Amino acid sequence: MIQATKNYGTFLKRCGRIAFVGDWRYYTWMGLLTVICLLGLNAYCKQFAHGLITTGMSDEVSWGVYIANFTFLVGVAAAAVMMVIPVYIYNNEELHDLVIFGELLAVAAIIMCLLFVTVDLGRPDRFWHLIPGIGEFNFPASMLSWDVIVLNGYLVLNVHICGYLLYCRYQKKMPAKWFYVPFVFVAIVWAISIHTVTAFLYVGLGGRPFWNSAIVGPRFLASAFTAGPALIILAIQVVRRVTALAPHSNPAQPSGRTTLKAVLQRPAADSDLDLLARYLPELQFVPADVRRNLLPGLKVLDVTTGGVLLRQGETEKHSFFVLKGRVVVEREESGRHRITRSAGPGEQFGEVSALAGTPRMATAIAEEATQVLRVPADALRKLMKTPAMNKIIHARMTERLMITDRALMTLRGIVQVSMLINVFLLVNEVFKEFYSGNLHVASAKYLFVGLHGHHALVPWIWTAIALNLIAMVLLVLPVSRTLKWLNLTCVLCIVGIWIEKGMGLVIPGFIPTPLGEIIEYTPSVNETLICFGIWAFGLLCYTVFLRMAVPILQGRLSQSNEGQSDEQVAATFAVAPAKS
Amino acid sequence: MSASKTPPAANGVNRRSFLRTSAVLTTGLAALAASLKPLMEMQDFPTAEQFMQKYYKEMTPDDMAKVLKRIENEVEQQYGLRPHVRDYKPMDGVEFVYCLNLTRCIGCRKCVHACAAENNLSRNPEIQYIRVLKMPHGSLDMEKAEHHYDPPQVPEKDFFYMPVQCQQCKNPPCVKVCPVHATWQETDGITVIDYDWCIGCRYCEAACPYFARRFNWAKPQIPKERLNPEMSYLGNRPRRQGVMEKCHFCIQRTRQGKYPACLEVCPAGARKFGNILDPESEVSCILRTKRVFIQLKEEVGTSPRFFYYFDV
Repeated sequence: MIQATKNYGTFLKRCGRIAFVGDWRYYTWMGLLTVICLLGLNAYCKQFAHGLITTGMSDEVSWGVYIANFTFLVGVAAAAVMMVIPVYIYNNEELHDLVIFGELLAVAAIIMCLLFVTVDLGRPDRFWHLIPGIGEFNFPASMLSWDVIVLNGYLVLNVHICGYLLYCRYQKKMPAKWFYVPFVFVAIVWAISIHTVTAFLYVGLGGRPFWNSAIVGPRFLASAFTAGPALIILAIQVVRRVTALAPHSNPAQPSGRTTLKAVLQRPAADSDLDLLARYLPELQFVPADVRRNLLPGLKVLDVTTGGVLLRQGETEKHSFFVLKGRVVVEREESGRHRITRSAGPGEQFGEVSALAGTPRMATAIAEEATQVLRVPADALRKLMKTPAMNKIIHARMTERLMITDRALMTLRGIVQVSMLINVFLLVNEVFKEFYSGNLHVASAKYLFVGLHGHHALVPWIWTAIALNLIAMVLLVLPVSRTLKWLNLTCVLCIVGIWIEKGMGLVIPGFIPTPLGEIIEYTPSVNETLICFGIWAFGLLCYTVFLRMAVPILQGRLSQSNEGQSDEQVAATFAVAPAKS
Repeated sequence: MSASKTPPAANGVNRRSFLRTSAVLTTGLAALAASLKPLMEMQDFPTAEQFMQKYYKEMTPDDMAKVLKRIENEVEQQYGLRPHVRDYKPMDGVEFVYCLNLTRCIGCRKCVHACAAENNLSRNPEIQYIRVLKMPHGSLDMEKAEHHYDPPQVPEKDFFYMPVQCQQCKNPPCVKVCPVHATWQETDGITVIDYDWCIGCRYCEAACPYFARRFNWAKPQIPKERLNPEMSYLGNRPRRQGVMEKCHFCIQRTRQGKYPACLEVCPAGARKFGNILDPESEVSCILRTKRVFIQLKEEVGTSPRFFYYFDV
């Protein structure tokens, strides 16, 4: 128990330390975000001291960009977990590696949501009135109290799920299914609920006809499932980019000479298997006669730093177990190289293609002087007849960080369908408002065409609609299968939906006022700075989360390499392979 | 590697990295301090007593007495005038109702100003509980209303005037949405706000179909000489920055059997107020005899205790 706590403490400490290690791009990015955060904090201190008069809000338009951003981000948080559905319900393997990124985004988005609500409060010092049990909690009557519960619950759920999965990956242990799978399914339902509850916040107000419409909930979900995965597509491409080497400094390019030149090869002895069993206790369950029969086929290879053990695209059916040292496995895609996993003593690599008989998916390079055990595919199959071995080898097959283009295309499919539904629902809403043309159309009129000479939101909403429509067309066309166009489309989706859902939903609900007066709203500079500050803080959190998660997913930050320096662990690329 | 064995070069690197770390730390702390500086401009930082104050309905009479004393001290400190702050409770067998005669109202806005004076409304930024709408004859469509009319003389031909304030709904959406029970309906039908419990989320303001609620966007300012010293906890005591307020039917007057300030000042006799549970009261009589009266936005289902009627 004490040891477990100590291990967990070390895990947290190492995660914390690694957040401060990076290359110049990382420091520049984090420095920039910190500066914006501080500017936002400064603006918030002004607001705290002088009151919300520092914002552009008024009694007429009593919610502004804070609540608009809040609404948008609840959607992002909800949608981030929606990626989990294809993985856990439809067993989509491609997306499996991205689940953690989605959940971490959800955590960052919820943090931003909570901050946006807090800065919107007139008396943030009385936040404790909202805590059930200590304060006075108007549950279940107030939808806001529902929101407090679902948002905080969602935060806890996601922190638990990704924290647990990452810690298991760090320990190179198989996660216990009962300890996270039930939570994953709860989180899926919960994700829908957070956005529905947020929609009900508006829908429940009978005095605001613009919001008091049953379609707001479905529209929220559709737009969230468009913007959320779009954001993830962009985020994981950034991860791919920064964990990769640019094409010109390609280290693993075949030098034309045989790669195994630096490799010494000898038949494996029983002592080698014993050594492996020290790191891979499951090997002890393999019956002695099986071990004996296999031994003649096994080879032990010694490589120096940079030695290439297998190469992407090759077809030979061997798998490897590391006996000493460390091996990085890197994959080339779209001209870039990135590390997909890192294997230390007792761990395997090359087993997937060996078992499937497919070309190598990645190249394995020794990071230091390394000794590996080469196991032919048939021998590996025999080893896997032992249930314990089968289990551990299968578990480790998924221990990799592989963001494939196909996974991005799956996400594109989600964005595509959601955008179509989103636009369809928007058309429904517009039809209902304008065709019947009753008095309640005033807010919609103000939004889309202007009312009595006031039309501050008209250019915004038409920009949003244009962006959404262009994005929709791009998504339907095959052109968005290329990453450049897909990225552009995602940006259009995010901006379009931010305007449509944030400003286009919150603000017109207040205009005209229930007494028919038209007072327009423009966010003040101070208010805008606070928004930027919160966004910067959210991005800062997400960057730190990724900074910790990526090396863990790659297997480069693990319990087995506690001795390694942070720089070594954090390096996006470890070693250049030997040239000769 | 022990310290003594560290080669000089590595030592230099250590010193450099130490200097760098401390430079980064100092800059960071300085930047943090600079960004927190506006907090120094804060005027009334909540005291421990204010911060810990209990919820209205959970206070014992002793608690309440202490709180009222404290409020009196605070007001005296700020305005140099000792007020009487009381906590008036609803009377048994009373349910207040307001009736407003649209035929008589001349749109002079005397009620608006009497209300501000009675209820210690902030003059800067200006808060008013009553909004008088100037409406063209023949329509109740509020989009046609003029809010900021300013003619040399009222009433104007072809217009009628409709003052709107808190409608004291039987089914108040503002109460339903408040996440912390800071606003509730009392047994005499008045919806009140505990200014010391409100967190300022303004959900009630969004929920109100009558634009009756007001928020203190900044610290309210009332000239000392204009302060009304007869105050009540749930009524007209001075509010603080960042909380909601609204018309409470002059709780400090009506719970002592007086008329609301807006009624008393009305030169046209358009305003009637009383106990609907008393069949002999003026309001009961009006609601019994007038053939048409209007509850604003009846379709929203709020069931206001504020009735508009005409002399037909």
